[in-house]
Amino acid sequence: MTNLNAVDPAAVAQDAHLEGADVVIGKNTIIFRRFMRNKTAVAGLAIFLALTVFSFVGGYFTQWDKETIDPFNIGMPPSAEHYLGTSQAGIDLYAMTVEGTRISILIGLIVGLVSVLVAAVYGCTMAYFGGKVDKVMLFILEALIMMPALLVVAVATSGGGEGLKRDLPSWLLLIIVLLVFSWMGTARLIRSLSMSLMQRDFVKASQYMGVPARRIVWRHLVPNIGSLLVLDITRGVTGAILAEVAFSFIGIGIKVPDVSLGVLIGGATSQVQTFPWMFWVPLTVMFLLTGSLAMMNDGLRDAFDPSSSSSGSAKKRALKTRVKGNAS
Amino acid sequence: MLRYLAKRGITYVFMIFLTTSAGYFLAVSSLKPALLEQERIPRPTPEQVANSMRLKGLDPDLSPWERYVEWLTAIVTRWDWGRSPNGAFINAEFGDRVWISTRLFLASIVLTLVIGVALGVYSAARQYKFQDRVITSYSYLAYIVPAPIAYFLVQLGAININETVGERIFFVTGISTPGLEPGWAQFIDMLAHYAVPTVAITLVGWGSYQIAQRQYLLDNVNADFVRTARAKGLTRNQAISRHALRVSFIPVAQSIAFTIPAIFAGGFFAEKIFAWPGVGSWSIDAISLQDVNAATATLAYGSVIFALGAILADFATTLVDPRVRVQ
Amino acid sequence: MSSEIAAGRVEQPQSPAERLHVAGLHAPSDAILSVRDLNVRFNTENGIVHAVRGVDFDLMPGKTLGIVGESGSGKSVTSLAIMGLLPTTAEVTGSVRLKGKELLGLSDKAMCEYRGNELAMVFQDPLSSLTPVYTVGTQIIEALTIHNPGMSKQTKEARAVELLAMVGIPSPKERLRAFPHEFSGGMRQRVMIAIAIANNPRVLIADEPTTALDVTIQAQVLEVLHTAQEETGAAVVMITHDLGVVAGMADDIMVMYAGRPVETGAVDDIYYNPRMPYTMGLLGAVPRVDVAEKSSLVPIEGMPPNLIHPPTGCSFAPRCPLASDACLEGEPALAPVPDGPLHLAACIKSGSLGGDVDVLDVFAAPPVPVSRFDAIPREERATVLQLKDVRKHFPLTRGALLKKRIGTVKAVDGLTFDIREGECFSIVGESGSGKTTTLLEIMEFHKDQDGEVVIGGISNKKAADARAKSAMRRELQMVFQDPTGALDPRFTVYEVLAEPLQNAGMEKPAIRKRIMELMKLVGLQPDHVNRFPNQFSGGQRQRIGIARALAVNPKLVVLDEPVSALDVSVQAGVINLLDKLRAELGLSYLLVAHDLSVVRHISNRVAVMYLGKIVEIGEVDRVFDNPRHPYTRALLSAIPVPDPQLERTRERIILQGDLPSPLDAPKGCNFATRCPVFAALPKTKQEKCLTLEPPLLPVTPSPAAQTLAADPLPALDQRFACFFPDGEIDEDMLVVHEAADHHAP
Repeated sequence: MTNLNAVDPAAVAQDAHLEGADVVIGKNTIIFRRFMRNKTAVAGLAIFLALTVFSFVGGYFTQWDKETIDPFNIGMPPSAEHYLGTSQAGIDLYAMTVEGTRISILIGLIVGLVSVLVAAVYGCTMAYFGGKVDKVMLFILEALIMMPALLVVAVATSGGGEGLKRDLPSWLLLIIVLLVFSWMGTARLIRSLSMSLMQRDFVKASQYMGVPARRIVWRHLVPNIGSLLVLDITRGVTGAILAEVAFSFIGIGIKVPDVSLGVLIGGATSQVQTFPWMFWVPLTVMFLLTGSLAMMNDGLRDAFDPSSSSSGSAKKRALKTRVKGNAS
Repeated sequence: MLRYLAKRGITYVFMIFLTTSAGYFLAVSSLKPALLEQERIPRPTPEQVANSMRLKGLDPDLSPWERYVEWLTAIVTRWDWGRSPNGAFINAEFGDRVWISTRLFLASIVLTLVIGVALGVYSAARQYKFQDRVITSYSYLAYIVPAPIAYFLVQLGAININETVGERIFFVTGISTPGLEPGWAQFIDMLAHYAVPTVAITLVGWGSYQIAQRQYLLDNVNADFVRTARAKGLTRNQAISRHALRVSFIPVAQSIAFTIPAIFAGGFFAEKIFAWPGVGSWSIDAISLQDVNAATATLAYGSVIFALGAILADFATTLVDPRVRVQ
Repeated sequence: MSSEIAAGRVEQPQSPAERLHVAGLHAPSDAILSVRDLNVRFNTENGIVHAVRGVDFDLMPGKTLGIVGESGSGKSVTSLAIMGLLPTTAEVTGSVRLKGKELLGLSDKAMCEYRGNELAMVFQDPLSSLTPVYTVGTQIIEALTIHNPGMSKQTKEARAVELLAMVGIPSPKERLRAFPHEFSGGMRQRVMIAIAIANNPRVLIADEPTTALDVTIQAQVLEVLHTAQEETGAAVVMITHDLGVVAGMADDIMVMYAGRPVETGAVDDIYYNPRMPYTMGLLGAVPRVDVAEKSSLVPIEGMPPNLIHPPTGCSFAPRCPLASDACLEGEPALAPVPDGPLHLAACIKSGSLGGDVDVLDVFAAPPVPVSRFDAIPREERATVLQLKDVRKHFPLTRGALLKKRIGTVKAVDGLTFDIREGECFSIVGESGSGKTTTLLEIMEFHKDQDGEVVIGGISNKKAADARAKSAMRRELQMVFQDPTGALDPRFTVYEVLAEPLQNAGMEKPAIRKRIMELMKLVGLQPDHVNRFPNQFSGGQRQRIGIARALAVNPKLVVLDEPVSALDVSVQAGVINLLDKLRAELGLSYLLVAHDLSVVRHISNRVAVMYLGKIVEIGEVDRVFDNPRHPYTRALLSAIPVPDPQLERTRERIILQGDLPSPLDAPKGCNFATRCPVFAALPKTKQEKCLTLEPPLLPVTPSPAAQTLAADPLPALDQRFACFFPDGEIDEDMLVVHEAADHHAP
């Protein structure tokens, strides 16, 4: 201990040996294990994955597609030929559900992922620059929050045959509008979180060492807001799916001939007494989708929470190594 | 305090101006009332259409910027928000509808808050017990159902009740039965009309308040100042209800103010489904009728409601939290 | 009223606790509070934590018992168990009797009759212990209402005013309507004391009542507690980790370790004649502010045991230098030691220990390290840091929502000092004096600063380009106060230490080699590099922080309260490490600390700051032994020393009030508003203090010394800023506790 500058070759060798050994469980592993221990969350993940797979390959299990009219089966209940019956126009409901699920998942995933990305960039930029930039960007953000999104969606998707409406399918248009109005809350959260992280001593320590700003952002800020980002992605996906259904349900948003879960549910409301399956089938699918995401979100939150009561072998093991360390 | 509110007010006026202007440009460039006119039978000539539009201040030949200037001048100088393609004046149409919307939402807002906060407190007091699990699960369920579908399901339920009983107890659409004598009958009629939408909006709305109130209260249950209160000689429950509860209201009070815009936004769906001719259903109809001025006016209205909510939130926070009071 | 209940109980068959009670050292009727075999268990996810294991004590009316222990020793849990404030999940067994009435097992409701009435408590953190949304008046009156339902509103208000006046809050009538956030920490703690004594309690439990406060405020609050005890005649249980705080106050001391009392006795027995190695270690681990002679501190290696596993031997044995195999066979009981029946220790070797055993030998404290620079006169050493007239002024705004500029805060106002190679320079002062701002001004040096900061010979005025800046950065590293917050929780130790090295452009193999070196340098096991910070104890984390600061071989290390977050026994190890590193690596330190004992122990020079200005600066022994500025004198006199006899007779300068708002800073001397000398000055002389700013002038040797000396004496390394350093001290601010007044046998 007294000879400070000599390097003990044995220690270096020991270190090399330790590199490969599983001395410490990585944080990601702990999170993964905690998530996998949460049965509800795993069930949610399984349902969501199953629905996604279904929406892509489900079409191959039937000969019908969402455009072909079966003139002999109009408004029929489920049968061997039409698994989920047909609509009043004679279109196979199964084929439409598969298509609608795919569109809904697509909208959810794109909006969820991209809006969190936008929010992260916007929020971090605000926190990083601060001052005037922060003020102006916050103003824009609040102004966007103030805009009633629903009206803008309505205006954008019901334009009179010109502009965007003509060039883009309605689902893509909806994605764009939802994106514009979905990232502000997360951005504000990320801003305040990053700002408080910037004040933390370990960030200051890096600054005082002269570590460049971008490396601090990348190595300290991003990993520390990572859990929030993951949570917000699942929340964002749920939110986008719900928004699509809500908008399409009252007739703005996605318009026929494009199909989505919202369109199917909304279209069936008027005959819910006479053709109940037309209403309940897409509604069930929607519940499975949003419900599975909520279950996942719950499990993820618990897994990320350092004070989580979901203690398992991982935590105990960490404790054990600590005790061992003291003894040695 | 007043100076502060004035400052916030000015900021919001500026914001409303910006959002409304942006909304106008969006509306003016995507809504084309003239195209709808041309689908009338007998089909009018383009000149006739343009003429009638010009008379209503909706000249399609002018550039968006020219129309914007014209529209803005009318508002600033005469508080005239323009006319619809069918000739109706926005100002006149607006008043009635704002009143209808407000009537619909007032009861729901109060009920949502009271039930949500009360259940939040109740479930926090019984954390992890059966009641807590049921209440909190319901709130999470409410979160994954889109509002219009929930309204629709409540409507279906009311129809079922009517059918089971065999008589019309609840009105599931509309605002009142015309031609009733003022008095008891009209009051009962009003209740029958209000019940379903109010219940629907409340059922969907309270969940988020329940979860928030429960969380904030639980955060404060073990606070140091609750311990101090107990050390004075209050029982645990007394200490929580006198000290923790009051502190846990601070963040709730802040979010309460934001319910108002949220419920008005949800109101678009409610009015549409229960067929109440309020601002929400009007704005959606206006958009499908390519009505630029009405769409912009409702958009401005939404922004104003939001700004009011935000100022109210500041005000509410100041009221419950002495720490932010401005001397 | 409850005597019948008590009488009824006596006839019941005696429980073990009951028998112990009877066999106790005092007859039960004597003791106001009597605790027997108190055990507390918590069920946690990792197992059952046995937090308190068999605490016994008797508290006599009007006496003070000090419970001393480190975090996790079970002292706070004991107090909460007595109050019945533990969560319902805690399992509490044993007996707690207040005036002979059993309190354990009472319902929450039944306990409420005693809490706040006969049994009152003051908590540690005054900032969070008052409800933020009610005025202090409401909160005091609530305590009165609960136990005096019949009291009229006027009476209650009058009593609240009286209480506030008693705890020393100026203009109490107006302050009744103030909210807690309008009070400083010290003032809030006074309010807490007022609430606690509102109903004239028989027993007052104070759980670390001054830990979060500045020394000057600590002295005030301790004084208030003293007054409160005199006024109410309450018996006091004083819980603390600071052996100095209780030295002057307590009659008896109980030292706790790992949930058990390990030594109890009269205060003098414990301090002068400790019989348990842990007590000895604790006493040796704290540096003394009143002793100039430098000796290493006693480090107690290791950590307290995990209370989930029942101990098989003495729980201190793993950390005890005297431990032998016999110590591992069963936990030793608390037994009387040879010198007296009232002095008990839980150590099988207590017979061979005592006041004449040198604790430094027992714990094998390292020798005092000697730096190669110590032999070189200061003037001949290179300057590593120089500040010239550095200023930092902030606009002061009021209002949480609407910010209104109402003035300027001169956080740092014309600071000039330098640090030479191999020396430790400390800045001391209350919070708000500008210490931390000074550090920030140095760490965040930039071209447009007001004043000049020269680091390693490069001035901030010339640090325009990145290269000059990084050259300056390499000379200067920092160790933070909170070792947990200073380490990214997502980094392994390896990554933490690699960051500065990577930034310096070092190659991978060299980085690995350097990290192994660093781990050993700070006394950590090199094979722990793959662990995350949360797997280390506080002391170990601080060592990691020190290793990171040393990674790039800086000349100067800035230490921001490096040990204030650590337990006493751990603190000693870190201080010894800092001492050793300074000597062996030839480092210079800039230390900011509120603990003057630590400052005296490791620094060579010291500066005392008050409201952004240095009021006294110089060689540490000179300043501490012959303080010239009244503020320095007050600061030094406020520090309690772990020496009961000295504490009882020492005269203390108690400053009035808090640090003034920077807005009220007078034109002349900043300190005039609180100055004990100023208060006693005649009006004519006061005028000078109020109008002229005293310059920082060197202490001149007294004329007598100069005439005696053959050669002209060299100027002393001590400067201060006061016109009347020899003035009388105002009597109101001078407090002496008569030894007899409070410590009757």
